[in-house]
Amino acid sequence: MRPYWSPYVVGVGLGFTLLAAYLLMGFGLGASGAFAHVAARVEGAVAPGRAQANPYIVGYLEAGRLWAQWIVVQVVGVVAGGLVGAWSAGRLRWRLDRGARIGAGRRLAFAFVGGAAVGFASRVAQGCTSGLALSGGAVLAPGAWAFLGAFMVAGFVTAWVVRGAWR
Amino acid sequence: MSWPIGLEGTPGLLAGLGLGVAFGFLLERGGLGDPRKLTGLFYLEDFTMLKVMFTAIAVAAAGIGALAAAGVVEIESLAVQPTFLWPQIVGGAVLGAGFALGGY
Repeated sequence: MRPYWSPYVVGVGLGFTLLAAYLLMGFGLGASGAFAHVAARVEGAVAPGRAQANPYIVGYLEAGRLWAQWIVVQVVGVVAGGLVGAWSAGRLRWRLDRGARIGAGRRLAFAFVGGAAVGFASRVAQGCTSGLALSGGAVLAPGAWAFLGAFMVAGFVTAWVVRGAWR
Repeated sequence: MSWPIGLEGTPGLLAGLGLGVAFGFLLERGGLGDPRKLTGLFYLEDFTMLKVMFTAIAVAAAGIGALAAAGVVEIESLAVQPTFLWPQIVGGAVLGAGFALGGY
């Protein structure tokens, strides 16, 4: 298993990737939008009446085929890139990362609740740590910095409460 | 050629795929596929996320600024995230709490 790269090398590489996104597309990188596209289509399939009554969901449904959505394709790329990165560094294996004092079931329950909170919050803020904080930060969007400040404060407070899960 | 190009259709999707692969590959190589490293910031034990994120923001912002100053990039054509201050503060807080709980 090879060691991780220097965070500064990774940061420079990511900065040029983000710059390339702005130059080629006119917008930055993201993540949560892809999950919103999938969630809207799930609601459209499971509860079509309810989905059609919600203009926000309809906006996603009218965007067309899932595989023609830029953000969906980009996130598929992220998964593939992460997979190649882990495999080529000898890090690819099944494991559940957690602190020493938490059981697997509780860790997964925390992941589910945390994931649901992240998904919900990404729609409230119109973005996540990728699409809003990182991409918005690079174009000095005021909302990105407000988001990042609130993210840090809540992260530190919550982390202290759930420290048993990770440390 | 004027920048940004604003790719559409299949070329845009192929660019999205390539940019995504680079994004995912770099995050993994930096160790950001590990939730213990990601949450390490909140215990003041591992600052990888901050180092990667702020280096990336600085490089991209400097690049955009320099190319705009040189007249290569039309900065008005770049999509800037609109400001909705309270939703972004509340969303950031809920997302931060979820991130610290779930690890991503």
